[in-house]
Amino acid sequence: MTDTPVILTRNLTKSYGGFAAVQELNLSVGSNRITAFLGQNGAGKSTTIKMLLGMIRPSRGEGTVLGKRITDAEENRAMRRKVAYVAENKPLYNYMSVEQTIGFASSFYPDWRSDFATKLLNEYKLPPQRKVKALSKGMRTKLALLLAFARRPELLILDEPSEGLDPVGIEHLLQMLVAQAAEGVAIFFSSHQIAEVERVADHVCILDNGRLLVDASLDQLRQSYRRIDLVFASAPQEREFRITGVERIQTKGHQMSVFASGNAEAVIERARDLDAVSVEVAPVGLREIFLETVKEN
Amino acid sequence: MLWYKAWLETRSRFLTCLATLTIFCAVFVGHAQGLIRPEWKTDYNRLLFVTQQFIVTMWILAVVLLGMGGIVRERAIGTSSLTLSLPVSRARLLGIRVGVGVLEAIALAVVPWATVFLVSSLARMPILISQVGFYVLLLIAGGSAYFAMAILVSSLVESEYTAPAVAFGLVLLTAIVFDAWLRPFNLWRLLTGDFYIDRHTYLISWPFPWRGVLASMSAAALMLSTSISVIQKREF
Amino acid sequence: MFFKLTPTTGHPLYLQLMQQIRHATESGALHDGDQLPGIRTLAEELVVSPNTVAKAYSELEHDGLLELRHGSGAFICVKRRTRSLADHVQGARRQLRDLIEHLREEGLLDEEIKRAFEAELLYPAEILRKR
Repeated sequence: MTDTPVILTRNLTKSYGGFAAVQELNLSVGSNRITAFLGQNGAGKSTTIKMLLGMIRPSRGEGTVLGKRITDAEENRAMRRKVAYVAENKPLYNYMSVEQTIGFASSFYPDWRSDFATKLLNEYKLPPQRKVKALSKGMRTKLALLLAFARRPELLILDEPSEGLDPVGIEHLLQMLVAQAAEGVAIFFSSHQIAEVERVADHVCILDNGRLLVDASLDQLRQSYRRIDLVFASAPQEREFRITGVERIQTKGHQMSVFASGNAEAVIERARDLDAVSVEVAPVGLREIFLETVKEN
Repeated sequence: MLWYKAWLETRSRFLTCLATLTIFCAVFVGHAQGLIRPEWKTDYNRLLFVTQQFIVTMWILAVVLLGMGGIVRERAIGTSSLTLSLPVSRARLLGIRVGVGVLEAIALAVVPWATVFLVSSLARMPILISQVGFYVLLLIAGGSAYFAMAILVSSLVESEYTAPAVAFGLVLLTAIVFDAWLRPFNLWRLLTGDFYIDRHTYLISWPFPWRGVLASMSAAALMLSTSISVIQKREF
Repeated sequence: MFFKLTPTTGHPLYLQLMQQIRHATESGALHDGDQLPGIRTLAEELVVSPNTVAKAYSELEHDGLLELRHGSGAFICVKRRTRSLADHVQGARRQLRDLIEHLREEGLLDEEIKRAFEAELLYPAEILRKR
């Protein structure tokens, strides 16, 4: 299936003086996919998203969202009609009521689905007349998400969407994301909740210090990353295991732990050739992949 | 719905200023009447002249207050990510804010004077509608520079409280500077009609000071276009 | 049909789903001709990406276990070949049961047996053939 990427960047860079918030980013986010954007705080996720939406100007490089150039103000504006974005702080206007907020948002998007908005309003139990400033944090989050879901965006960009939600709310959010994806909405969300990402994401991008370190499908990661624990009769040599795919080696006495992003078979073979006493291979969860990748950088 | 948003944002400021101005005028003029008889026309005209001075001062302060806000302020309070993700250009966002502000500024000039006119007519005191018109037009057109200045300050200064401080500070500064050195260019004196009031009849004499007003409006236009480019270049 | 996918094990979700569907056909919970939920419905129920379900269904169709009828949905298709495979699996399970009993008698704990199996199963078949 040929799908043009909904987000495509080329050498996208943003520097503040000497500090590079985003470096040479080559991002390609597919449509018909749920892509998770992982990274520590300050890794450059929000900066990247803001560049895509025209709030920040790139220092270098270029990008397109839904085929429209992000650096052209008019193209970016036209693109924003089809992109729903919820920032990390779930911004809303305090002086508007829930009803007024929905009315306000709906006026900008011709594909707004009022019946769906009403359905969500009832599901989330949001009091229509109440002013936003009087809403609890959880309700504010739900309202901000409602505004994004009730249009028919082609792309949904969410920055830490589950923050501020209780477990029931999170479950509902994930179901909503899945439902939107089933309708053909491309989803690009950043999250610190690895567990959620592991459930619904098709593709994972890991950003650290402004650089894209991992850009692969989750299934690919699950099938390639391995942790191999070895025990030898005598103290092993780390350099024997510096093969392609090996990311990190830890040795303690006769034990060695190898973390590989691929090519685990070669490591196992080498271990056997060196008469390893014990060879144990285990798959690696996303949390460990993330932590090891970031540590390594 | 952007007009509605701008209205909601300025509504309480606007209504408070409008009420203050209107009540002040009604009380000021209404109270003074008791001391004036129809034959003291000059004194009444002089009273109206003083009223205009009050109105101009309060109007300038009100209009500067109304010029505060905008997406730069929204960045400080955290909602700029929402406003800027709307499929609307930044110029349009500013333009609508200015539009609402201008309508409010006009109301702030017209309503108090209309009240004065009403109060005077009810008390059967002499008041020429042409004089009222002159005062109102002078204020709105000539005072546009103050509003534009407030818009420019709100586009440059980020913090919620620093922006009004800077704006009011500038008003004060220009008042002092104009009074000390640039008397012929004193905008406040222009707006109150100080330059062409007839000291015998206390009536404003025509022709309408187009040059001064146009100079003010040009300055306003310049400040507004600067505001637009500042906003367009800013990063959020 | 109750499916339970565990995302944290590092085992691709679509493979887990495929295995569970296969197991259901082998154990008889799903019969030939039964209809599976639509991709969207199942994705929302399990709260996983629709692509996961789509991939599982598509692979199973490729293996002959599932028939995807455009517009109507996914239907189980237990062909003769698959039935003999099911018998195979039943036989294998009997062997495993005996082996596990034997290992238990030797003093191994269930946890140790489980880990040993998992470790062995992670060696790709190619390496074992080389030895």
